[in-house]
Order: sequence, then C-alpha cells, then structure tokens
Amino acid sequence: MAELIRPGERDEDRHDRTRLIPWVDMDRVSSSNVLVVGAGALGNEAVKDLALFGFRHVDVLDMDTVVRSNLSRCVLFREGDQSSGKGKAPLVAERARGLCPDIDVKAIEGKVQSLGPDDMRRYDVILGCLDNVAARLHLNANSYHARVPYVDGGTDGFRGRVQAVVPPFSPCLQCGMNRSHFKVLERRFSCTGQDTVFYQPKMAAEITTTSIIAAVQVREAVKILSGRSAITHVMHYDGLAGTSEVFALDIDPGCSNHLSAKLS
Amino acid sequence: MVVRVRVRNAETGATVDMELEMENTVEEIIEGVSAYWEKDPGAYVIRKGRRLLRGQQKVQELDVQANEELELIPDPEGGNR
Repeated sequence: MAELIRPGERDEDRHDRTRLIPWVDMDRVSSSNVLVVGAGALGNEAVKDLALFGFRHVDVLDMDTVVRSNLSRCVLFREGDQSSGKGKAPLVAERARGLCPDIDVKAIEGKVQSLGPDDMRRYDVILGCLDNVAARLHLNANSYHARVPYVDGGTDGFRGRVQAVVPPFSPCLQCGMNRSHFKVLERRFSCTGQDTVFYQPKMAAEITTTSIIAAVQVREAVKILSGRSAITHVMHYDGLAGTSEVFALDIDPGCSNHLSAKLS
Repeated sequence: MVVRVRVRNAETGATVDMELEMENTVEEIIEGVSAYWEKDPGAYVIRKGRRLLRGQQKVQELDVQANEELELIPDPEGGNR
C-alpha cells in the first residue's frame, strides 16, 4: 500500500529543515545527554541553540544569580530577573522550556568543582561556558578522564576561541596552556589561597562574539555526536578583522591528563 | 647558536624582531614580547603557521627558520559573566 501524505505536513515538523542536512544525526542529537557548565553569556546562547537544534536532554550548571549587566548578552534572561533571587541555571532551564516545550532541561545549582569523572560519564558531550582558568582545568581533566568529549568556549571583547577535546586522541585544554594562563590562575587565588571570587577582573564582553562562539560550540557538539570530525583543534575568532582560523595543537607529553590516561 | 625571528602582535599588527637561543622556550618568547608591548595581564599563545606552540617547547624543537614570523594571540578566557 502506498504511503499516505498530506500537503504541507513537512512544515509541521519543527526540525524538518535541519533533517535536510544529510550528515546530521537527529536521532542521536535528540537522544544524547548534554551538560552545559556555566549559564551566563555563553551558556545562555548555547542552551538556546541546543534547544532550537533539537537536543532534548540538557543539564545546566551554575552557582550564580543574575545581575543587571548580564542582560546585554543573555538572551534567556529578562529585566527583573536580577531582583528575583533565582539562580542563572533555573532561569535558563525555565526559559529553554519556553522555547521548546518537549526539552528536558535540568538546572544544577553548584560549582563545577562538585563534579567528578563519574558525573561526567552520564553525558555524551560537555560544553564549557566558563570564565576562569581554574574551572576550565577542572572540567577539562574530569571530562578527559571520563572519556567524554568537551567543547570549551571563551571570549574577550571581540575575540573568542573554541577548542574541541575528543579523548583519547586529541590534545586537551591543559596541553595548550602556558605560564601566562597559570599567572591568571594565580591572581584568582591570590587573596586567600583558596578559590574565591574576591578577585574577579571584569572582562570585556558583548553579544555578537558571544553568539558566534556559543554557536560554534553547539555545532561542534552536533558534529561529534553525528560522527563527524571535530575541529583540529582550536579555533580563534577575531571579530574586528572578521576572521577565524583553526590551529593544530600537539599533545603535551608532560600533561598530567595524558600521563594518567596512559597509566589507567 | 642564535636565530632571529619576527613576532607579530595579533591585536595591533605591530612586529618586533627577537633573538633566540636554542634553549629559549615559547613561554619566554611570550613573556618577552608581552613585556615589550606592555600587554595587559592575561593568557596568550604563540602560533607558527597553522600550529599553536606549547609553552615548554624549546626553540630547537620548533624548526624555526631565520626571520620566520610568529604571532602572539590573546587566549580569551571569559564568557560566563
């Protein structure tokens, strides 16, 4: 018996146009578990893109509440959120459900340091939407040990970067860091010797670069989940020049993540 | 043995020539040009062509040619505020 169709029925499928991209594995996208760490500027954009793309299982982690200066870059926050007392993560989850009612978004209010490799193993891909080296190093090491792909984004004004880490074959974030990164880390720890936010320099940020970097992070997640190769290995974006370039990076033979991976 | 390279500041387009010993490291190049250009404190990386160099790599490992250009690029670390 011939298949029965109706005029215009394809337009009833929210993801019909995405399904026209032959390599995108929408079944994998919709069934995969994604962790977004950070519900600020990049995290807002990433969750918005994940929801619209067709991801259905997303956890969002953040420990902060909204301040009014977030509103220029955070598509899911609204005027008044800064006085609601609600955390960024629950707000992002609530608004993502507004974008896409069948998405399952869970808010986790806490620090990234509360997550270890066992927590990471619950996910198929992790997006880092962070603002400091210490949190990045924690997420990088634990996701690498859990063998879960990690896509990190960073911005500073009109500049941005994305690194896709696909263990065990690709270099990790730590492989690309040098003394200048660790000096930044030392400044953060310089007040009390513990991880505090007493010294947290204000970094330049704006929505156009934030949007681009988060979009690349989500696209890399889609590529990884659909069986395509991720970028090799780090994309640097220069918004003023209107350019982006992808640079290769070698595994650092002295990197503790790769040493311990060899031992395990 | 000494090799002279040119380092470009990706943010301004400025260049400076630098004499390097084979034992010098990429981190020393970053610190040298950052101090010269009085860069803001922050994370930076050096690229050689389409490859990012690791901080502890020595010049003798880089296969760097005389007058070859390296580039100092800021490594953005913001995004959650």
